[in-house]
Amino acid sequence: MKQNRRHKFWLSALQCLVGSTALALLTFVCFRFHVNSTTVALLYLIVIVLVSLKSTLASSAAVSIIAYLCLDYFFTAPLFTLGMNQILDFVAPIAYLATAFVITRLMAKVRKSMEDQRRAEETLRRSQAELAHVTRVMTMGELAASIAHEINQPLSAIVNNGSACLRWLAGDSPNLDEAREAARRIVRDGNRAGDVMTRIRAFLRKADTGKTQLDINQIIEEVLILTQDEAVGRGVAVRLDLAEDIPPVLGDRVQLQQVILNLVMNGVEAMASVTNRPREVRISSRQHESDKVLIAVQDSGVGIDEQSLEKIFDAFYTTKQQGMGMGLAISRSIIEDHGGQLWGVSNNGSGATFQFTLLQYR
Amino acid sequence: MEEKKAKVFVVDDDESVRDSLRSLIRSAGLSVETFASAQQFLASAHSHEPSCLVLDVRLPGLNGLDLQRRLAETRIDTPIVFITGHGDIPMSVRAMKAGAVEFLTKPFRDEDLLDAIQQAVERDRVARRQQSQLADVRGRYESLTPREREVMALVVSGLLNKQIAAQLGVSEVTIKVHRGQVMQKMRAASLADLVRMSEKLGVARLQNRSR
Repeated sequence: MKQNRRHKFWLSALQCLVGSTALALLTFVCFRFHVNSTTVALLYLIVIVLVSLKSTLASSAAVSIIAYLCLDYFFTAPLFTLGMNQILDFVAPIAYLATAFVITRLMAKVRKSMEDQRRAEETLRRSQAELAHVTRVMTMGELAASIAHEINQPLSAIVNNGSACLRWLAGDSPNLDEAREAARRIVRDGNRAGDVMTRIRAFLRKADTGKTQLDINQIIEEVLILTQDEAVGRGVAVRLDLAEDIPPVLGDRVQLQQVILNLVMNGVEAMASVTNRPREVRISSRQHESDKVLIAVQDSGVGIDEQSLEKIFDAFYTTKQQGMGMGLAISRSIIEDHGGQLWGVSNNGSGATFQFTLLQYR
Repeated sequence: MEEKKAKVFVVDDDESVRDSLRSLIRSAGLSVETFASAQQFLASAHSHEPSCLVLDVRLPGLNGLDLQRRLAETRIDTPIVFITGHGDIPMSVRAMKAGAVEFLTKPFRDEDLLDAIQQAVERDRVARRQQSQLADVRGRYESLTPREREVMALVVSGLLNKQIAAQLGVSEVTIKVHRGQVMQKMRAASLADLVRMSEKLGVARLQNRSR
């Protein structure tokens, strides 16, 4: 606090010094060229305005007084004396001080409101990031079971194949062909489990935050691994329709995973009450315009009415019983931060499609 | 009947798991047919040999428990062995209450699965045998005349020939003849045998209702 005050004092002194130097220069030039007193008074006023824009009330008041003294001493008759002899001697100090006062006050207000706004933005950004983290952690928790399932499937296939292999080998006339096939499948399924691990590791990789060159198809496939089981558990088929020759995009891996994850889970949840048609989520990727990539997540769920299509992107707006209403809001801010757009449309038949664009990496 | 080879149907959406189960079950000398979804299974023709269904709980579209219910509704009582990645207790209770033979959590020991399959096939075999026997007895019962059916109901309810004659208002000799016909047509070796058959058919109940 004390240090702060001292800092303020020196800052004021410095501002005062700068203002005075400017005045001295001006005074010297005007005196040398015999500029008349009214013009000088106006020029001084300009200096005071400029100083006031940048400095505290104390220093601009000090500069105002110095300006008045200079004016009185060097320019208003009788020269080289101080005293209230002319109207200008009365008007100038009042005008100077009033100007200094009004302008420094106004500037303080402007600075304060700018500071407030900056702080509010900062807070908003931080809380969005926190919420993004929270939803991600929550989703991760839900999806841990999914990961277990993805590993468990090939694992149980390996156990079955191992048992089968032993059984084919047992007895007096072992069936070597069958045993060999079973062993081959063990290798295949073991590799599959390994692939799952690799992809999950890639998904969870924390090191590469920040925007890099990314293969969006690969990210979609990684997300799919995590959502597959949850989707199947809810009787939903997730299909991929990915363009082969898609250019790389510029993006933050973790954030984009989160957006796709969010859209897919929304799609899956939108079909909870659907019984009369196939429950299907289709994720597609393709080139869009000349320099963008478009990713679309289409479901055959209950759909969204026209009025809600924009509202769903508002923070805390939710149609789910246990929703926070943050998913789409965060997703949209992430995509916009990537220079892309995220929007939803109603399908012609049933359900909705959410799609977003990303800039091509170059 | 006993000679017929049992058939095992496997429904699992995971190709690796399907392949491994096919090999494992075949190694036990059973024939196998696999399906990737409940719909695929429903669409296929059903076998007439003793069979068993190895069913994954989590399936896309119609899940395992839905399929179990659907089969029960259509009176297909192929015994079911459930397999699941992460079965919870309520789920297994539901499955077992609805008549499942076993509820196994993946990965399971081969013996556990094969034992469950054997048990299921045996259950199906017994059910099929009972069903065919019942059909047989019913066929014989159909061949009786209305009068003979009346007499059969009264005989199995424990009445003497004399009492039956009195009740129906005919001579005891006539009843004796009817009774002989009934025993012969129903291929009953003894009165006890006839009583067992009538229990299966629910003759006494039918007769009581008409009385």
